[in-house]
Amino acid sequence: MSRLQVKIGELLLHNPVLTASGTFGYGLEYEDFFDVAELGGICTKGLSLLPRAGNPPERICETPASMLNAIGLANVGVEAFCTDKLPILRQRGVTVVANIFASSTSDFVAIAERLEREDGVHAIELNVSCPNVTHGGLEFGKDPKLAAQVTAAVRRVTRRPLWVKMSPEAGDIVAVARACEDEGADAITAINTIRGMSIDVGSARLRLANRTGGLSGPALRPIALRIVWELAAAIRIPIIGIGGVATARDALEFLFAGASAVQVGTASFSDPLAAKKVLTGLRAYCEDQDLSVADLIGRARAT
Amino acid sequence: MKRLEVLPLLRRESMGDAYHVLTFEAAVDTGASAGQFVMVRGAEWGDAPLLPRPMSYLSGGRTPSILIKVVGEGTLRMARAEPGEPFTLLGPLGRPWRGAHPGRRPVLVAGGVGVAPLVFLARDMAKSGLRPLAIYGGRTARDLPLDDELAESCELVVTTEDGSRGRRGRVTDELLERLSADIDVFTCGPDRMMAKVAELCRERDVPCAVSLETPMACGYGVCLGCAVPREEGGYLYACVDGPCIDARQVSFSSDSHAPVKGAPRVL
Repeated sequence: MSRLQVKIGELLLHNPVLTASGTFGYGLEYEDFFDVAELGGICTKGLSLLPRAGNPPERICETPASMLNAIGLANVGVEAFCTDKLPILRQRGVTVVANIFASSTSDFVAIAERLEREDGVHAIELNVSCPNVTHGGLEFGKDPKLAAQVTAAVRRVTRRPLWVKMSPEAGDIVAVARACEDEGADAITAINTIRGMSIDVGSARLRLANRTGGLSGPALRPIALRIVWELAAAIRIPIIGIGGVATARDALEFLFAGASAVQVGTASFSDPLAAKKVLTGLRAYCEDQDLSVADLIGRARAT
Repeated sequence: MKRLEVLPLLRRESMGDAYHVLTFEAAVDTGASAGQFVMVRGAEWGDAPLLPRPMSYLSGGRTPSILIKVVGEGTLRMARAEPGEPFTLLGPLGRPWRGAHPGRRPVLVAGGVGVAPLVFLARDMAKSGLRPLAIYGGRTARDLPLDDELAESCELVVTTEDGSRGRRGRVTDELLERLSADIDVFTCGPDRMMAKVAELCRERDVPCAVSLETPMACGYGVCLGCAVPREEGGYLYACVDGPCIDARQVSFSSDSHAPVKGAPRVL
């Protein structure tokens, strides 16, 4: 096993650097910049059963060392993903984590069943934590019982690795993660964005049409890191750390806190090469220290 | 083909307090066409400002340039940049202006900082032997950067809201008088201005191309932040469906994020 390889349950990733859902399209958009297959994997834009147009503008705005987005899960839908995007990703050898979203348990199941008919989907990530939609999303992720119910239902229809993406807004995030673990989740992704707001003083108006948007970027990192730390003490399944990862140093923070892999999100907007740079830096660190990624996981917990 | 590169600032020219032209030094031809845009971010900005800023090219070639107006932290940093400072440029992006319709006189309708892609277009048109009419408006005489550059390749008519230069009023007042069936309109400026220009053109069945301006995080179709309502329903994305697009495809909002009357302008 190479230095950078890491196991997320049964899934062997060639390295622990993935890209976050909603910040990397369907992967193909980044082919102009680098070979996406080099990454540990990509998480697709959240897929719904039917295509979604998304929220009215303004959808995004910048905030200190962060941004707010209220895209509203605009996506091509699971069918178009399977027919138009996935065959190319498969051909390129990209490790694909299909991020899926629904407003009912039965729709979650229907999407997972559709994906089950396809090769080249290496894991499914349940988005039970989107803050920008009226139905579903956050409601599932805040309540351990509902999160468990969705996890159990999808677990019954797929043998693929199943990841569940946590909301930092859950009252008891450890309870939500444990409930998902108990129902057969293979990993926990932590965290999704946290709701924020911004007002344009010149016009005295909210800067997002949706009023609130999910906060992402470096400003989120300390919160995400704290949550990963808490989860690592409470659950046995691997944790995928996400929140403001822009450099290899940031990735190391998450690994040291107990994450087994990381997702690079908003940083890809600032620099399309961000994920590749995180990987390059991590590889250099491991070689320099003569350590493997497995040695890094939870390193700060021993002290 | 878009390229991501770090380029040094060659020079910065100030035009009053708020407007600056930034020119960069590229190793190879930028390959940008009039109407395309570039994502620009200081290579040493760190975590803030976080996102690159979408800017229309003022010129391409080996010395690509942009016109900025200081509206926030990112443009403020650009307005203070010194020659040699490294910037990350990702471009050229988006769809350029369409070609001019043969037999029609091009009319360029510009509002404030929206003039940049129209100066680029006017220079191209002049090279191919056209002499467009440019109707250029701003709030005051101080809000008309690059008017000289426009005058070099166009017949220029200026409007200001306060009457401090040219005709007192708006570009659309001037356009209304000059609308005829044989013109071909290209416009870039504030949403409300472009909405009115598009409406006038539609009424007279005059072709009208607009250059959309919205906040963007990526510039190449991933963040989905730059949604613009589409006339037939759903959304266009300014970065990949535009920024230059036929005005009839766009549903201009009546409820734009324009400043409240009398509210102070805050940077």
